[in-house]
Amino acid sequence: MMAHGPSTRSIILLAIGIAVLIALPLVVKSSFAVDIFIRILLFSFIGVAWNLMGGYAKQLSLGHAAYFGLGAYTSTILQIDFNISPWIGMIAGGVVAMLASLPIGWLCFRLRGPYFTIATIATAQALMLIFLKFRDLAWGAEGTTIPNLGAAPLMMQFETKAAYYYVVLGLLAAGLVITFLIERSWMGYYLVAIGEDEDAAEAIGVNAPKMKRDIYLISSFLTALAGTFYTQYIYFIDPATAFSFSISIEAALVSIVGGIGTLWGPVIGTILLETTSTLLQSWLGSSIGGVQLTVYSLILMAVILWRPTGLMGMINDAWHRSVGRKPAQA
Amino acid sequence: MWETVAQAVINGLLIGGIYALVSIGVTLIFGVVKIVNFAQGEFVMIGMYISFFLANQFGIDPLLSLVVSMPVLFAAGVLIQHFLIRRVLGPNDMPQIFLTFALSLLLLNLALMLFTANYRTVHTSYSDEALHIGGLYIPVAKLIAFVVAMGLSGALWVFLHTTDLGKAMRAAAQNRDVAMLMGINPNRVFCVALGIALALAGAAGSLLMPFYSAYPFVGQVFVLMAFVAVVLGTLGNVMGALIASLMMGVAESLGIQYVGADSGLIVVFAMLLLTLAFKPTGLGGGRAR
Repeated sequence: MMAHGPSTRSIILLAIGIAVLIALPLVVKSSFAVDIFIRILLFSFIGVAWNLMGGYAKQLSLGHAAYFGLGAYTSTILQIDFNISPWIGMIAGGVVAMLASLPIGWLCFRLRGPYFTIATIATAQALMLIFLKFRDLAWGAEGTTIPNLGAAPLMMQFETKAAYYYVVLGLLAAGLVITFLIERSWMGYYLVAIGEDEDAAEAIGVNAPKMKRDIYLISSFLTALAGTFYTQYIYFIDPATAFSFSISIEAALVSIVGGIGTLWGPVIGTILLETTSTLLQSWLGSSIGGVQLTVYSLILMAVILWRPTGLMGMINDAWHRSVGRKPAQA
Repeated sequence: MWETVAQAVINGLLIGGIYALVSIGVTLIFGVVKIVNFAQGEFVMIGMYISFFLANQFGIDPLLSLVVSMPVLFAAGVLIQHFLIRRVLGPNDMPQIFLTFALSLLLLNLALMLFTANYRTVHTSYSDEALHIGGLYIPVAKLIAFVVAMGLSGALWVFLHTTDLGKAMRAAAQNRDVAMLMGINPNRVFCVALGIALALAGAAGSLLMPFYSAYPFVGQVFVLMAFVAVVLGTLGNVMGALIASLMMGVAESLGIQYVGADSGLIVVFAMLLLTLAFKPTGLGGGRAR
């Protein structure tokens, strides 16, 4: 959000952060802990993908599970039926998601505000129903397990959780770099203008339909990569997990809680929400259904009512106070 | 042949009456307060649980418990408008969408914690009764629900068109700024709109209870149907929502009859997507926001 370029201090901080993230699985050997780190990185990445469209252009989708699921199914079908590596399947899944985003966007972008949101929910649910109902397409409701090949890095299968950690860390890094570049490009400014007031943006010559289509392409591509990774990580796929509404919810939630339309917002939001969820589970056990989402929804309400800029808003204020500069943007 | 079609149409109309109560609430809130209430389905769920517990603990008939569920939810609507929604009304969509969405998540998951995911049913003396008219089969519980639902919708129409408060609500829906200049207190009107909308959802819950199971996710079925009906019937239009809801009920029922038992939702989504593709402003014309 700083218009004046990164300061030395933030570059040093970033370098330390990268070093810690790379060293983390070498130091922490507990596979329970690494599993939590992987979840945090994965949902940060999904949040980053959502935030490009939902955060900057304020196109508040609650249907990103559609692309997560398409990515997951494309790579799995290619792997099981055609023995094609999920590394290639992952890209193929991203392309399928991009192709799907064109008609879905054509439909949903006809509506604005809450009705856009509802339309995105409906398209994701419709895709789930298609995969549930048409058994010839892909295993129906039972889903399928991914054949375990042991250590097969070329097939995106690893013996240690640490390897999965580095894959998803790479995805998140790529997502953040893409966000960083877009944020500083003309496209970034156009998207923010559309998010602020679409009619005004069009009046000053922003091609809003094209901008929204393009950012939807990028956002759905990235979300699909997460779908492939997740399926490879849990060795299982079915319509209920691949197209789960909770994926769509969490993508939006981590971004809003962390700071909508900011580079680091989804990451900060995921760290808070996933840590809370892990602590709750260790205190209460997983016996009581609904506890996690009850707490998530209370956090979401609190952020909306008292801190609409999210945690990043609070962090930015504190940062600028300590550096002794005025905030570039409140 | 015609009997199967007629039977499917009747089944659809009967359940469409319940959809209408939910969609009228959604469209009323949208018309007057200009927000979409994502939690509307959860208030149907709460209405069902109120009726379930009154029936289970005190043996009160679910239809009688309307006199409890409607006032309780009316009060809930006033409080939610006054303490929550009022704070997020502004030009920005994000807080409005995600506040009611968070409310929906909260109520649903609280219900899951308190009542578990078990299905709850109430058996009444008329639950298994049915009228047989010329080969057609009309379940009494659904018929009562339909008649009461239409009665409540009619009462709302009379309220909106004959009382001062009702006219103030319609005025606020048509042009909020001018209505305020005419001396209408917007927050009071919004509180009443939320109250009525939630009371209708509560009524839908109580009316469903003699023939439908209560469980935490039950509202999602109805709210999805309501969103489609509200788009089809033109946003903010009460009569449009009513007619569209009955059409949705019939379409769903015909889908179940001729495509397959689990195809109800597919028909609904297909209708939503077709509406968006060809008539995003709704069947009654008007302007998409």
